[in-house]
Amino acid sequence: MIEIQDVHKQFVAATGGGLFKRGKKRVVHAVQGVTVTAADGRITGLLGANGAGKTTTLRMLAGLFAPDRGHIACDGIVVKDAPLKALARMGILGDAHGLYPRLSARENIAYFGRLHGMDPDAANARADELARLLEMQAILDRRAEGFSQGERMKTALARALVHDPANIVLDEPTNGLDVLATRALREALRWLKSPEGGGKCIVFSTHIMQEVEQLCDEVVVVSHGRSVAHGSVPALLELAGEQRFEDAFVKLAFPQEVAA
Amino acid sequence: MKQALIVFAKELSDGLRDRRTLLRILIPAVLMGPLLLAALSSLIASFEERAERREIMAVGMANAPTLKNFIERQTYTIKDAPADYEARLRATTLLEPVLVVPADFEAKLLAGEAPTVEVVGDSANQRASGGIGAIKGLLWGFNNERAALNLAMRGVSVELLKPIDIEERDLASVQARATRITSIIPMFIIMAVLYGALTAALDSTAGERERGSLEPLLMNPAPHGAIVAGKWGAVALLGMAVALLASISFVPAQWLLKSDSLQAMFQFGMQEVLAFWLLQIPLAAGLSGLLMALAIRSKTFKEAQAGSTLVITAVSLAPMVTLLNPGGDAPWYLWVPGLAQNTLMLAVLKGEGLRWAQVMPSVVVGVVLTVATLYYVARSMRAAVAR
Repeated sequence: MIEIQDVHKQFVAATGGGLFKRGKKRVVHAVQGVTVTAADGRITGLLGANGAGKTTTLRMLAGLFAPDRGHIACDGIVVKDAPLKALARMGILGDAHGLYPRLSARENIAYFGRLHGMDPDAANARADELARLLEMQAILDRRAEGFSQGERMKTALARALVHDPANIVLDEPTNGLDVLATRALREALRWLKSPEGGGKCIVFSTHIMQEVEQLCDEVVVVSHGRSVAHGSVPALLELAGEQRFEDAFVKLAFPQEVAA
Repeated sequence: MKQALIVFAKELSDGLRDRRTLLRILIPAVLMGPLLLAALSSLIASFEERAERREIMAVGMANAPTLKNFIERQTYTIKDAPADYEARLRATTLLEPVLVVPADFEAKLLAGEAPTVEVVGDSANQRASGGIGAIKGLLWGFNNERAALNLAMRGVSVELLKPIDIEERDLASVQARATRITSIIPMFIIMAVLYGALTAALDSTAGERERGSLEPLLMNPAPHGAIVAGKWGAVALLGMAVALLASISFVPAQWLLKSDSLQAMFQFGMQEVLAFWLLQIPLAAGLSGLLMALAIRSKTFKEAQAGSTLVITAVSLAPMVTLLNPGGDAPWYLWVPGLAQNTLMLAVLKGEGLRWAQVMPSVVVGVVLTVATLYYVARSMRAAVAR
């Protein structure tokens, strides 16, 4: 169960500037009122254009920085107050998901398992289990140096899931994956939310309509740092009065642009 | 604590798997010092050899039978200098000074007119100018003998020529004399600590940031202090390991020493290796923390390298302070990282026992530096990924 209530975040960014002149500071409102409620056993999608504030929201959920305003909790644990306890209940695949190139995929996965307090044997067994789920047994004992984009993504995902977290947070997980890998990932996520898979609470962000349509039980549309609509895919279609989901998204996310 | 150990073990095996980088660090750290020491010793050996040979090179010695007789009585042999000796001295192909005797030497000497002899050297030619002292000594001896004879013939006491007696007394112990040459060793050990820690420190901070693995790492429920402590432990240990190899490498270097007397003076056994190594602990600890603190703010490995240049230069130039300040060791030396280790290692080489009060300052500085920098790194890590 993940609750994000009306969070706000602004950054100070430098503008261009010249050779001897520093750029002027400019305030960027990255997030200004996003609300997401993700229940267990469901897949909740954060759908928004590039720069809508999806990644910033998820990074706040991961406790990398505190929101200026608003409330974030995971299974009732407020992230700001007890970040380590909240992190122990989440498996996060963030925007940055670099691997250690000199460690094998298994070592990469087991290292994080150990940091989550697992003993070496358990972490190893879990790596095998995840390799089966994500179909990556062939690369499990290879060094991460020279992995393809898809192999890297799978390893990073396995690393995030190593401690069998009740809540899974994925930031654009299908970026750079081919059709087959995307399908495999979709299957894996469906299994994880099912009662046999543990009935996980899954939150993932994307800008790809297709994925949301095929996978999500609940969709939160994010635009210009605000969550502008939420509901299931059919509910959103009805709300927008459109047949195609893409049209519905554009209408909901960018009402001014559509009106113009 | 357990999490710090997990991070430590991972960083260490990660660092050790980077064979190519390790090899590139080890080659200069292990080979450079001993090779330089061997080269210096062969220079000294050639000086000693010349002193034993007792030969001087001269032009026109046939014009001065009296002088020739005197020199030969001092058991020196006289060689004729090549005709182009001036050019060869300038070109550093002739490595000995040349005594030039004028044609009218004997006649002037008999007439009491003080003939002029020249000792030709080239101050840019180190080896040749090193031999000038010996020739001058011979000529002074000749002067003295002539003067003594002249005075004796007139019935004047020779003692008048020597109102004072001069005797040299060398206070340096045998080992202390050897340190003139071996004082370069501590510098190599300090550099070894630095190079051993450098890549690991940058890789575990800026490198981790650059490859995007710091953010996932911080999403583990591990306190930042534990993560930083584990990383620091691995960095410091790598620095210490390279330092140990570098100091051990000087043990076989003794066998390469060409000069027998230097070999006898240079005592570098396992006891010295151990003392050197223990002295590096505060330096490795503090320096690892400092390098990590400088690198954590950098977005890329390259930026971090540029930032660490200042530390590298400062620490490696620290031993130079002793050369620039010949007034002896000042008490504040012991408080400066790098300089303190240099001073203490020189004391070990001289065979002096170390007092606790001498070692204490560097330990205090090392501990304070470590704690301060690690605190800073732990605090900066979150800020580093948040940007």
